[in-house]
Amino acid sequence: MSDLPTITPEFELDLLAAEYVIGLLGLEERMSVETRLREGGDLAERVAEWEHRLSDLNDDYAEVPVQNLMPQIEARLFPAALVVKRNLLSNLWAWGSAAAAAVALVAYLALTPAAPSYTAILTADAGNLKYEAVITQDKLTLTRVSGTTADASHSYELWVIAGDNPPVSLGVIPGDAESITRPGLAAGQTLAITLEPLGGSPTGKPTGPVVAKGQLIAA
Amino acid sequence: MDDPIAVLIQNTATQDRAAFRELYSASSAKLMGVLLRILGQRAEAEDALQEVFTRVWLKAGRYDASKGRGMTWLIALSRNLAIDRLRQRSDHVSDDDAMAAHADPAPRAETRMIATGEARRINDCFATLEPDRAEALRGAYLTGLSYTDLATKFDVPLNTMRTWLRRSLLRLKECMGS
Repeated sequence: MSDLPTITPEFELDLLAAEYVIGLLGLEERMSVETRLREGGDLAERVAEWEHRLSDLNDDYAEVPVQNLMPQIEARLFPAALVVKRNLLSNLWAWGSAAAAAVALVAYLALTPAAPSYTAILTADAGNLKYEAVITQDKLTLTRVSGTTADASHSYELWVIAGDNPPVSLGVIPGDAESITRPGLAAGQTLAITLEPLGGSPTGKPTGPVVAKGQLIAA
Repeated sequence: MDDPIAVLIQNTATQDRAAFRELYSASSAKLMGVLLRILGQRAEAEDALQEVFTRVWLKAGRYDASKGRGMTWLIALSRNLAIDRLRQRSDHVSDDDAMAAHADPAPRAETRMIATGEARRINDCFATLEPDRAEALRGAYLTGLSYTDLATKFDVPLNTMRTWLRRSLLRLKECMGS
């Protein structure tokens, strides 16, 4: 209106960046902005400018002490760290978060007696993506047989589904590795890989489409 | 460089796990404050904090120190993740509950004192806006309220709120020297 300059497309872009940074947008609009941000360009620059412009407001956030969650974070990121030691188990349960429960479940499975070997072939409904999962002793090794890894802005995340239980994340599959090592699982369970935002599902539950799945069977 | 957090992020980008742990020690309390303020529930905020640091490890290489301070980057990453989660909640808590959950303690006295000098410019600019619009923008930024939430809270039509705030944003930008 009178004090509002003419809204040119460039103005719209700047306002969209501001609305995104402040957090005014609904889910769909946010997702659409985030898709555009991955491509960089003007919008990304304007978002960075607004983040900087409003950053003094961050002083209003109080510090809240938090227990050391680094063990869980490293377990998500570094496969070797996922082999949870027994003395950590009680702490993990006490912490009670979904991620801790997931790690603890894997740890529980790992503590069951050395099992016979299982395998699973994870295949896609469409396309040629194929992973082979082999379980020996307490380790699961996942190998990509064919197809491609996720693009630069997405991650593949591995899930285990036991019966009617909700999927439990076994972590993001490293894009640059052909295989990863995980503690063992059991026959009859389903392994599934979903396409998630970079770094894995933001919610702890699968948010993207299943790109491959298969059932564990005795080898 | 007078920004130890920025240095830790840059070292994390080189797969330096010691730097990554130090970064967690140096920033997790502040980021927890951000996540708890937006998400309102401690268990969910702790889960989100794990996700934040997972992303920090994967994305540290994209941090550009010439474009802003390390803590600004970490807080932006945390706010975006928390707001995405907030919008994804299918079972929305009522607005009153959300407001109650967001009523967290004010910054500690010493934080407030340090903040005074740095925050004056944005506060001066907020002061040029109509008070309820400034309050709406501040509330949206700090607690993740959307246009829809704000329209309900201030009891105005959605489009009115949108027009008010867009105009206020332009004024704010002008005031802060683009």
